Amino acid sequence: MENANKERVQKSIDNLKQRQSRLYFFVQDTKGNAKASIRFTYQMAYELKKSGFNPIMIHEKKDYTGVKSWLGEDYMNELEHRPIEGQNLEISPEDFLIIPEIFGYVMDQVKHLPCAKIVLTQQYSNMLETLQPGQSWTQFGFYKCITTTEVQKEYIEKVFRQVSFDIVKPFISETFQPKKTPPMPIIAVHSREQEDTINLIKTFYLRFPQYRWFTFRDMRGLSEKEFSNSLRECFLSVWIDDKSGFGTFPLESMASGVPVIGKIPNLAPEWMNEDNGIWVTDLTSMSEYVADFAQNWLEDNIKPELYESMKKTVEQYNNKQIFTENVVNLFDGYLSYRATTLEEQLSKIED
Amino acid sequence: MENKFDVSVILPIKSALAKNFDEYFQKAIESLNNQRVKIDELVIVHTGEETLVNFLNNFNFGELTVNKYLWDKTPNYCDQVNMGLTNAKNQWVSLFEFDDEYSAIWFKNVKQYVEAHPNVEMFLPVVVETDEKGIFAGFTNEATFAANFSQEMGFLTNDTLQNYQNFQTAGSVFKKSIIDDFGGFKSSVKLTFIYEFLLRLSYNSVVIMTIPKLGYKHTNLREGSLFWNYKNGEDKMTEDEVKFWIQTAKKEYFFTDDRVIKYEPENK
Repeated sequence: MENANKERVQKSIDNLKQRQSRLYFFVQDTKGNAKASIRFTYQMAYELKKSGFNPIMIHEKKDYTGVKSWLGEDYMNELEHRPIEGQNLEISPEDFLIIPEIFGYVMDQVKHLPCAKIVLTQQYSNMLETLQPGQSWTQFGFYKCITTTEVQKEYIEKVFRQVSFDIVKPFISETFQPKKTPPMPIIAVHSREQEDTINLIKTFYLRFPQYRWFTFRDMRGLSEKEFSNSLRECFLSVWIDDKSGFGTFPLESMASGVPVIGKIPNLAPEWMNEDNGIWVTDLTSMSEYVADFAQNWLEDNIKPELYESMKKTVEQYNNKQIFTENVVNLFDGYLSYRATTLEEQLSKIED
Repeated sequence: MENKFDVSVILPIKSALAKNFDEYFQKAIESLNNQRVKIDELVIVHTGEETLVNFLNNFNFGELTVNKYLWDKTPNYCDQVNMGLTNAKNQWVSLFEFDDEYSAIWFKNVKQYVEAHPNVEMFLPVVVETDEKGIFAGFTNEATFAANFSQEMGFLTNDTLQNYQNFQTAGSVFKKSIIDDFGGFKSSVKLTFIYEFLLRLSYNSVVIMTIPKLGYKHTNLREGSLFWNYKNGEDKMTEDEVKFWIQTAKKEYFFTDDRVIKYEPENK
């Protein structure tokens, strides 16, 4: 019995050292809609797979829609997918479960599993949504958290004090590039609440009827390709998301050469500075900012420094190699730490 | 990139006796001198009116290369423009009016769009319409960008023109070759000669695009101007005649030649 135990632990250690532990990434079914947080999870898993790790995407239902339609088939073909519904996941001590912050109830369900557990928090405002008052991630065995920005980390660690944090900055993919031809009088709008988009459009047309020929484009529900193609046609993006944890949309806009007027979120992103966009606090004046920018754009009065600054900002987020290195180093660290822990257990068994 | 765009700007002038002519003309020429990329030549087609000839001979055009041509027949906007087009030295030409102004960014943008859209043969500016006091009255040519208006955003097609006539060629830049192929302005078409011209070009598959930049300031219905006269002056038209010329444009655009057309009132 003892020998069998030792063999099992030794096998786990070997799997960890050979990057063969299962990294279960739990993903939500977006029903074919593009979602930055899901893309980020897939990008991490994909890069890990390419680096010899063993990531597995897990989802609740068997009829998972997948991400082929909006993210691309490589992500579906290259990564193994398994439903939770109707089967028990194979879980060994060397495995990892990576659960998004919003799935507090899933954390509760997996609390007795013997593997390592990590919370992936891209949206700080979701993290308490499915937890009961007084409940903490640590109660479910989640002592590690991956988040995307320093400001989110600072905020979350005030709430979950016993959790350790790592940061993986999202990667803006190379599909976001400026168009070779000049942009059209189209304004891309991305808001968390749809009513903010509707209010902006209606207010703008009422207040500035001379600009009724400008088109607003609601960027929700588009595939990655449609999204990037649509975005690069625009001369301006408007971003309204008070609860944003990172701000993927403005960075994608900047990467596409499209300046952004954005409402500063409750947690201002660390990439935001006074030169790389028009950042405002007053939502009620948004239509005026848009009209003012539109007039300046029509007159070629947008300062080149704005575009330069956008480019500089994006350079910190569009280097795929750095993203891959960060993710690989992080998971190598997790696996190595876990291996050390198991080796300690093994030596106790041997003693 | 060379800081020049090889374009001939055509400026027909009937009379220097128009109200505030000096002031308008000064601003118009200033707007050409202020271009961020230099133009190649200004082609002025003027009548023999003595005041006008003297004025032009004594005017300081700054660094512009100016070529003047005398129109010695009855003053006529269309024919004077056509004469200017015939004498233009460059592949690209632009139409100008003395009471208007180009924005300083216009030819810079045209040059950029010519490179980006090599298939386009005519570029229209978004025109800022003002009254005689310079107060903003609206835009023209911007409609090509309006939602569900044209088949392709920014492009003006024959289908669109069938339903909407309000487009402006002043400030436009186009290839001289399209005039050789499909003809110039038709002086026998009154009121709607611009409309007919655009219908004809689009019918013959000339690709027309509006550049979404404020390229031109147009003084709308200046007292004494051609269109002011059609609306308020000695050539004032009845509603019936306006309809006639719209219908005429829609019939004539199939023909390259300028055919003799006369309006006959129904109740004559």
